[in-house]
This record gives sequence, structure tokens and C-alpha cells, in this order.
Amino acid sequence: MRKKRYKRKCGDFEVRVLADGRVIILAPDERLLQVAGSLDPDNELLPPHKESKKNAGK
Amino acid sequence: MDTVAHRQIDSRVEIARKALRECRLCPRNCGVDRTAGRKGYCRLDDGLRVYREVLYWGEEKELNPSHQVYFAGCNLKCDFCAVGEWNESPEDAPKADLDEIIETIGRRKKEGAKNLNLLGGEPAVNVCGIIELLGRLDDTTAVVWNSNMYYNTIVDELMAGLMDICLADFKCGNADCARRLLDSADYVEVVKENIVRATRHCDVIVRCLALPGHIDCCAAPILEWLAEEAPKVKVSLRGNYVPPAEAKEAPLGYLSPAEYKRAERLAQKMKLTLIQ
Repeated sequence: MRKKRYKRKCGDFEVRVLADGRVIILAPDERLLQVAGSLDPDNELLPPHKESKKNAGK
Repeated sequence: MDTVAHRQIDSRVEIARKALRECRLCPRNCGVDRTAGRKGYCRLDDGLRVYREVLYWGEEKELNPSHQVYFAGCNLKCDFCAVGEWNESPEDAPKADLDEIIETIGRRKKEGAKNLNLLGGEPAVNVCGIIELLGRLDDTTAVVWNSNMYYNTIVDELMAGLMDICLADFKCGNADCARRLLDSADYVEVVKENIVRATRHCDVIVRCLALPGHIDCCAAPILEWLAEEAPKVKVSLRGNYVPPAEAKEAPLGYLSPAEYKRAERLAQKMKLTLIQ
């Protein structure tokens, strides 16, 4: 096991799963925000998920 | 294109560029010649570096969706910074191509962006390049200055009239916490002065990040000061602190719902205008 914690470098991203089940993405770029939006389409703080909108009436 | 030439962009850029020759844009007062490639506390030369742009839905509701443009380099060292890697080595971010950014801003507007959100890092230490960028914008783009508010008066003078909304961070409410968490003992006084100055020329939203374990020493005095000295500003009380994996001084836990509620009750008691 790594003794020292990994230090984030430019271009890295970080995803945390908290004990209470929440998932946190640190300083996400657009692609990660879209992923988050697709996982949680009702969250208004995330980009609207195109697929879920498209399928809303089906 | 209808530009903002009437706002004296050229002379502002000239003043800002001159300031970079012996940089005292912020209270670090490094005095280095950034135009000669020297770097001070913020580790920036005179180049404008952008490391990310995104259409973002997680700002305050009235700002969403907001087109965020992230500039590398900062004049604070927050122990809990979520983008610290870009401030430690801003030269890893590519130099900005203004034509490209203008094109992107147009595209984001078509995608629904309500505003252009300048953040970082810290926009103040990038003010010269930012004014050049704003000089190429059409008048219909609302500009959000998303800043740590830790800068000298010159930055406020240069930006007055160019920003529509000042989204002002206020994180620590006393000198000791500010020194330990942000590496800046004069932070509180400087931020207070700049918030008051900003209220004279634009709408101000003060974003108070509630830090775990710092409600009494930081959030409470900030809210009290706002109620007293800037009662008309909108206040965004943020409970989304994310602890760093390792820290010298920053809290290593998350804010509890009880702590957030306590800060919120304080703000309500002081009749501050809270926004989400």
C-alpha cells in the first residue's frame, strides 16, 4: 500500500464515495458533469441529461 | 460587433500592463516584473492561462447556467483548495487564445449560458488579460467576477464598469483563521474593503463558505459584519465544503447539517437576504 497519499496533479480528477452514499466529484470538467447528470437526472444543479429528456414521454 | 470600446479598454489594459512591471495588484505586493517573466506569490508571469471552461449549473440559482472560465494562478493558498494543483503550477495551463475564448463564449451563450463567469485561481491576478478579453466581448454578455476579493484598490478601479455581478468569496472571519487556512493575516480587512467598493458599481453576492468547526469564529462574524456594513448584498451561504485528503490546518471533516442550520439561522436572525 502507498505510504504517502497521492497528490493530485493538473488534469487529474477525484471522485469520492462518502460513508453515507453520496458521491462527490472534485472540480469536475464538463464530461464528468455530464456523467453526474446522467446518474442523477433530477438534480437541478447538474446539466440536464439529454437521454432522459428524450425518453421522458416514452 | 458592438464592443465595449467606450469603456476605455485600451487605457485600462495599458494601466494594468504597467502595473505588472512592478506587480502590486494584490496585498502580497511582490513588486516583481511579470512582463519580464518574473513570478511572485501567484506564480504567474504576464500570460493569461485558462485551464478549463464549462457550462455549469451548480452556481447560485439566479446565475445558472453559468459559463465558467477558469484562470490559473492564485494569490491565496487555501489549505482546502479544490483546484490547488493549477495554482501551484499555473504554467501547466495553456496560454489563452483570446479569439478562441470569444468563440467559445458565443457558443456557450447559444447553449443557454446566462453569463460569463470569471474565476480561477483568482481573476484579480489575471486582470490585465481579462480586460483584454472583455474588450472583445459584445455588450450583451453579463460578466460575473467570481473572486476571493483579496486584491489592491487598483483592481477594483480597473474592473469597475466591466463586471455586472461580483460574486465575492468570504471564507474566514478573523485574522488567525485566515492566516492558518488561507496564508493571509490581512485577508479579512482587505476583503471587507473590496466588498464595500464593489457595491458602489455592481450587484454583489457574497458567498460565505461555512467551514466545519468555524461557525462561531468565521461564519458568525462575517454575517454580523454584512448585516452591519453591507446589508443590501445578497448572501449565499454555502454548505458544500469538501475536505482535502491531507491538510495542515483545514478541517478534515464535512460540514454537519446542524452547523449549516446554525449559520443559516444566524443569517435569518440578522435579516440578511439569503439566496440559494
